[in-house]
Amino acid sequence: MIRKSRIIIVTMSAMLCMGCSQKAPDLDVEEGTNNISDSTEIARDTVAIDENSYGNENTDGVNGTKYNSSSDGFQSIYFGFGDYSISSSMENHITTNTNVINSTSATIKIEGNCDEFGTDEYNYALGLKRAKAVKDSIASQGVAESKMVIISYGESNPTCTSPTDSCYEKNRRVDLRLVK
Amino acid sequence: MRYILFLLVSLNLFAVDATVKIEKDVENRTRIALVDGSSMTNHNFFKILQADFKISGHFLADKTHHKGDIRSNYLLPILKSKEYVLKYSLVQKSGTKLLIRLLKVSDGTEVFKKSYTIPSKNKIPFLAHKAVSDINTVLKYPDISWMNRYVIYARYTTPGKSEIVLADYTFNYKKSIIKGGLNLFPKWADKDQKSFYYSSYNGLRPILYKMNIYTGKKVKMTTSEGMLVCSDVRKDGKKLLLTMAPKGQADIYELDVSTKTTSRVTNFNGIDVNGKYLDDESSIVFVSDRLGYANIFKKDLHASSVSQVVYHGRNNNAVDAYGSKIVYASRESQKSFGSNTFNIYLTSSNSTSTRPLTTTGTNQFPKFSIDGNIILYTKHKGNGSSIGYINLESQQSLLFPIYGRKVQSIDW
Repeated sequence: MIRKSRIIIVTMSAMLCMGCSQKAPDLDVEEGTNNISDSTEIARDTVAIDENSYGNENTDGVNGTKYNSSSDGFQSIYFGFGDYSISSSMENHITTNTNVINSTSATIKIEGNCDEFGTDEYNYALGLKRAKAVKDSIASQGVAESKMVIISYGESNPTCTSPTDSCYEKNRRVDLRLVK
Repeated sequence: MRYILFLLVSLNLFAVDATVKIEKDVENRTRIALVDGSSMTNHNFFKILQADFKISGHFLADKTHHKGDIRSNYLLPILKSKEYVLKYSLVQKSGTKLLIRLLKVSDGTEVFKKSYTIPSKNKIPFLAHKAVSDINTVLKYPDISWMNRYVIYARYTTPGKSEIVLADYTFNYKKSIIKGGLNLFPKWADKDQKSFYYSSYNGLRPILYKMNIYTGKKVKMTTSEGMLVCSDVRKDGKKLLLTMAPKGQADIYELDVSTKTTSRVTNFNGIDVNGKYLDDESSIVFVSDRLGYANIFKKDLHASSVSQVVYHGRNNNAVDAYGSKIVYASRESQKSFGSNTFNIYLTSSNSTSTRPLTTTGTNQFPKFSIDGNIILYTKHKGNGSSIGYINLESQQSLLFPIYGRKVQSIDW
C-alpha cells in the first residue's frame, strides 16, 4: 500500500513538474503577418528573357557566333599589349583594307577587340581607341569617314582562348566587315 | 637600422590582407550559437547564416552546427558561454518556410520570434539574410539590410555572347534574367532594385536600355557609336553618368533621365571612363589615361579643371565612390601576360591617406554597398575565382567561390 502511494506521488510530482516546464512557443502565430514578402520584393518572381529564342532588335551577325575575325576580304589589324597605335608592320593591311572599301558602296563596320587583361570599361575604351586608329588611318588614305562605323567589343569576342602569348596577340585586333 | 625600420613599416602596411585580418576586438562582438531544429538538415543554409553573422561585423557565430528542438527553451550546457542562441527550422514543401527564435542565454528568455515564407525554393539564401538582418535590428546594431539586396552581373558565355544574372550576395542563388545576345554593364536604376540599366551590343551601335526585372518592360534611353556604358546613377535616380563615344572618343557624359538629353562632362583626346558621383554629387571621380597610363582623377561636373587623386601605381583602372570615400583597383605587377596582382585600395576625396584592402591575387571590380560600409570585389587566385566582401568598419572579410564563366561587370 505504502509502495503504491509512493508510486502515485512520484508520478503526480513528475506530471506537475512537466506542467511547470516552459510552455512551448506558438511558432505559427506570426506566419503570414510577418511574411518576408511583406517587407521586401525578394519573394516576387523576376523575368527570364531568352534573346536567342525571339531575336534582338538588330541581329546583323556581327557577334561571335557567325564569325569573329575580319571577313569580306578585309585583313585584321593587330596591336601590342595595352597599345592603340598602328605598327609599321600593319600598314600593308591598312592598304589592303582601303582597297576593299574603295571597291564597295557598303558601309564598313570596324570592330575593336582586346585581350582579357583589362577591366570592364577601360578595356572597352581601349578597343575603341584601336578601332578609331584604324578608321583614321583608312580615312587618311581618302576614304570618307561617313562610310565607316566603329564599335568596341572589349574582351568579349576572342578568336583564341588558350592561355598563351601567341593567343593573346590574336585577340588584340581590329576586325573589319561589310554591314549587310 | 633605418632599413630595418622601413622594412617593418612596409611589412605592417602590406600585412592588411582583408582575407586574414580581424581588427575589431572579437570580445566586442556578440557571441551567438545556431541550433538547427529542421527535420531535414541543410548544412549549406547553416553556412550562409554563419557567413551573414560574420560579415555583419557585430556577431561571433559558433562554428558548430548544433541540432535541437526549436520549440524547447532547453539550452545545451555547452552553449552557456554564448550570449544568444538562434534556434531555427527550415521547411521545404511547395515553397520554403523558416521559423526562428532568438533566446537570451543568461535568463533563457525569448527575445525575438518570426516566421518567413516564400513560394520559391531557390531563394533560400535570402531567408537567411533577412533573418540575420532582422536579428541585427532587434539587437539595435547598425543596419545591415544591404545583405537582403540582389547582386546583378554580366558574364560571358561564348565569344560574342553574354548573360545578365541576378544573385544573392553569397552567389548561392543565381538566376539568368537576360540570356543570349551581347548585353553588358548592368547597373541598378533605383535603390529598390526594381529596374536596371544595361548596354545592348547586338546592333551596329550600342543601345542603353532600362529594364524592369519583374515585368521585363524595357525602355530605350540613348545610343552611341563606339561604346556605351551606364557607370553611375545619381541617388535620386534622375541623372546618369555614361561613358559614350558619339564622335569615336570615349568620354564621360551626364544623361537627364526625364528629357534623355546628355551633356559632356569630360573632353580628352584619350580614354576617360568609369565616372562616379563624388561627395555631394556635384563632382565626379573617374579613370583616365591622360598621364599615359590608367589612373584616378576627379573634377567638378561643371568646371573644366581636373585633378589627380591617386599618386601610386602605374595602372589604376577601376574606381567607385561613396560620399567622399573612394575605392580603386591598382595593378601591382608589370607582367604583360598571365595573372597580374591587382589590389584594392581605399582613399578619400578630402584626404591623402590611402590603405590597401587586399594583398594577394587579382582583385578587381570594387563596388560600395548602398550604405557605403561594405566593399564588393572579385578575386582571382590560382585557378579559382571568388566574390569578396570587406566590412570597412570591422574589417571582417568573406570570399564565396564563383563557378563558371568570367564576370564582365557587376553591381549591387
